[in-house]
Amino acid sequence: MITLKEALTKSKEELSEIVADLESKAKQSDLNAYVGFEKSGEGVPILIKDNIQVKGWPVTSASKILQGYIAPYEATAIVNLKKHGMMAFGRANMDEFAMGSTTESSFYGPTKNPHDPTRVPGGSSGGSAAAVAAGIAIAALGSDTGGSIRQPAAYCGVVGMKPTYGRVSRYGLAAYASSLDQIGPIAQNVEDAAILYDAIKGHDPKDSTSAEFEYESIADRLDRNAKMTIAVIDNYVEEADADVRNAFEETVRRLKEAGHRIVHKTMKNTKYDIATYYILATAEAATNLARYDGIRYGRRAAANNTQELFFNTRSEGFGEEVKRRILLGNFVLSSGYYDAYYVKAQKVRHLIRDAYNAVFEEADVILSPVAPSVAPKLGSIHDPLEMYKSDMYTLGVNLAGLPAISLPVAKNAEGMPVGLQLIAKAFDEKRLFDAAASMEKAIAYHDTYNERER
Amino acid sequence: MQIDSELLTKLETLSHLRVADDKKEEIMRQLTDILGYVENLNELDTEGLDPFFSMLEGGTPMREDVTHKEENVAREILAHAPMAEEDFFIVPAIIE
Repeated sequence: MITLKEALTKSKEELSEIVADLESKAKQSDLNAYVGFEKSGEGVPILIKDNIQVKGWPVTSASKILQGYIAPYEATAIVNLKKHGMMAFGRANMDEFAMGSTTESSFYGPTKNPHDPTRVPGGSSGGSAAAVAAGIAIAALGSDTGGSIRQPAAYCGVVGMKPTYGRVSRYGLAAYASSLDQIGPIAQNVEDAAILYDAIKGHDPKDSTSAEFEYESIADRLDRNAKMTIAVIDNYVEEADADVRNAFEETVRRLKEAGHRIVHKTMKNTKYDIATYYILATAEAATNLARYDGIRYGRRAAANNTQELFFNTRSEGFGEEVKRRILLGNFVLSSGYYDAYYVKAQKVRHLIRDAYNAVFEEADVILSPVAPSVAPKLGSIHDPLEMYKSDMYTLGVNLAGLPAISLPVAKNAEGMPVGLQLIAKAFDEKRLFDAAASMEKAIAYHDTYNERER
Repeated sequence: MQIDSELLTKLETLSHLRVADDKKEEIMRQLTDILGYVENLNELDTEGLDPFFSMLEGGTPMREDVTHKEENVAREILAHAPMAEEDFFIVPAIIE
């Protein structure tokens, strides 16, 4: 597949051929990565997760409750992307309302992993990652609330980046957990991810949590020879399985060879990240998803009065995982339990951020696993708590609002990709991308695993 | 924390959701498991920590209290609403 960088040099005629070719390939694919083939704008086609508003498109968060909804305006990330020679092409499958780690909770059915169609692509941006990995998208936008860009990128062997909270406007992103959500790129390589990140970032008065900063491009200044101090969190690595540990050790060896300094650290057990996340994210989700009432948009269920209308619309329209999180969120926010759960978790969030900042006093970036294993089999996770625990390495980054990038480093004996993530301090994306570019060069994943020309 | 059927009914009401009868036992068990797990936060000392958290220094900024009207957005929403007439959403009768 042509890279984003190269595609941006193509003429209008060449691009329309690329789009036609992509459309035909994507329609033939049986991965179920696309849930729509809409087009908007002109330029290099970028696949858009089904929770980002593109004016005039059905945008459904892969939910039954949003069937019939047509986006009345454009997300700022889409406006920005169109200013940089790109267009929106196709909607990517995802877990319903971005709540899940496998893309199995989608109203449109699960997406398959291109490396093994009996396995999940990860989630919630599973369609975006699978499409880029399968060569049916040049690059894609995803959203990351608790790992939803980085984890599917790792499971599919592509690059996925979560910006610092506030870097990319959330205006036009369907809200799941507003204090954690960020839109970010999924791409074939680090440079393409930087190009797409550069295109979508920027202060936006339409998002009150958007950060004000001077715009500086990164992609054209990537330094693959930068030397960094990289922290390894030993107690994190120990909890991963042998595939991930082996890949981690080999990566550390290569990073040392490339001239980076490795420092060893320990952090609090990730069980506290999991607990804090599943209290705060569900509380915010319960609040955000209260808007889906069947009155103003989406699908309305049959009812004789308004109470029945609310209950029927929501009971029929939301899937099981979404219902579970709304119920949980309303529990932790309810009178009598609010202080013990919600307020407690808000306080712990400070401890989590402080712990990261302590590591960044000595290290430029942190190297961490993304998931404790390679992509699991479709249908193999039955218990929600078990799924939540598999998010152990990604949640802390969202809770602390940090930027992080996941890139492929190895394949296990079954040919499944292993990804690792680099994490930087808030607003230090330049160093994050430099470290990632250097790591990409040191690992030479595509050369090592001789990825077939797609 | 044990989620029993009384508490589940309360949560369903708060959530404007109904859990199917044959799913109730399962969801009570799952919610109880999850809450049992997240209670691990009680192992941490959070004395004196701020219950508010913001990524922006100084918190979310203030802005002038002025409306930004985008009439087309309202029209687009009404045009695709489940039931609408002129400038109104239509709902079942509220008053008998």
